[in-house]
Amino acid sequence: MTPHPTLGDLLTQRGISRRAFLKFCAAVTSLMALPPDMAPAIAQALAKATRPSVIWLSFQECTGCTESLTRSVSPTLEALILDMISLDYHHTLQAASGTAAEEAREHAMKEASGKYLLLVDGSIPTKDGGVYGTWAGESFHDILSDAVKGAAAVVAIGTCAAFGGIPKANPNPTGAVAVSDLVKGKPVINVPGCPPIAVVMTGVLAHYLAFGTIPELDPLGRPKAFYGETIHDRCYRRPFYDQGKFAKTFDDEGARNGWCLYELGCKGPTTYNSCATIKWNAGTSFPIQSGHGCLGCSEPDFWDKGSFYQALPTGDWGSAKTIGIAAAAGAAIGAAAAYSARKRQERSMKGG
Amino acid sequence: MSALDAIAVKVVDEAGAASGNATALLHEAAKLLEAFVQSSTPGTIDLRSLPLTPGDYDELREALGAGAVFARVDAIGPSELRETRYPGLWWVTHFNDAGEIVAELIEIGPVPQILVAPMQDVAAGLSGFKEALVDAIAPKL
Repeated sequence: MTPHPTLGDLLTQRGISRRAFLKFCAAVTSLMALPPDMAPAIAQALAKATRPSVIWLSFQECTGCTESLTRSVSPTLEALILDMISLDYHHTLQAASGTAAEEAREHAMKEASGKYLLLVDGSIPTKDGGVYGTWAGESFHDILSDAVKGAAAVVAIGTCAAFGGIPKANPNPTGAVAVSDLVKGKPVINVPGCPPIAVVMTGVLAHYLAFGTIPELDPLGRPKAFYGETIHDRCYRRPFYDQGKFAKTFDDEGARNGWCLYELGCKGPTTYNSCATIKWNAGTSFPIQSGHGCLGCSEPDFWDKGSFYQALPTGDWGSAKTIGIAAAAGAAIGAAAAYSARKRQERSMKGG
Repeated sequence: MSALDAIAVKVVDEAGAASGNATALLHEAAKLLEAFVQSSTPGTIDLRSLPLTPGDYDELREALGAGAVFARVDAIGPSELRETRYPGLWWVTHFNDAGEIVAELIEIGPVPQILVAPMQDVAAGLSGFKEALVDAIAPKL
């Protein structure tokens, strides 16, 4: 096997200066909500890292996750991160097909055994022996089990892979399950969202490359850097919630004034994701900014949680620590101060 | 008036009032500047780690003002480095090729890190420089 060059070598070959690389690392550090002082250390670590082999398996999915990643509008950042990996198998993107494609997968699995990253989008059907999803007569379940053996870590991309998603929605005719239901004994990173934000996917890869470890995860296996706060915590409409100003219908005065969409069923308070800060379409907007409540697509079973247009019962989320603090303070300034203090505390805990 | 014009459209911007986060950030910046004065420890604040409304940005810009230095770096898109009215306190904005902001920082130090020439690049540049000199002289020999 040809030894993989370091990322530093690759960058030099492509004429990318260390200044440019430092800037790139400042962007990645900001993206991952790491202490900004760490950017130079991350630059050093990334320059020394070797390009890892990545195998991407797509199961019960709609290809929206791949679309999100590859249709990203800010090519520089994503392209740089994607250049840092060796994407050895992705059946939607690769030129090879049929036997040649499957041979490529088996070859990559053998060559990089124990070291490759396994990315999975889509859930896995388990009913009736897994017959509802097969490639070349092999069930998704068997393909996954085989590929997991040599993987260093598994990244479940999108809500279907992370939590079962829409295929698992009631009545779940194919017996769809999440990756983590089947993969045991290997680290599984969940990157949910329908689809996930592209930079969240690439940020997780950059973290793995820079630190050689998986990022800190929440109890649902999601990287805290991106899923550590609720949409509500970061929403620019949050001050209206604190002031009790709500849109009651989609065409009333409150809606026109951009007030809080809580009463119209927004799931922001119970949804952990970065949409409110990173946003979509090159940072243009996100659902709430466009006037529609959050559907909660990065949460387990979001499709079966009742109406998207019914307000959350307060008991479902009122216990959240941050919201408690904000409610007690009763004013936007209180929420901001508490938020700032908490961020600083997190930074100091991270050694920043 | 057409039917569409009859619909009253009100464009709502994120702007609104300032959230108060700018004040918290200014205190944090002052603390870091103090640490730099006392122990030469540089510091950085990531402006995108807090939810800031355009109103907050206006407050920050007004409070920090503009100092003597403005520099631009071209590296995978432009970067703008503006010293504020407080020497050693820099407002750094990194853009990508498409002109989108990829990082926005307050840096505290003698100069922003990206302005310092990395020694490995200096060394690589020197060998290129020497080769160029040899090439320039060669035809005359």
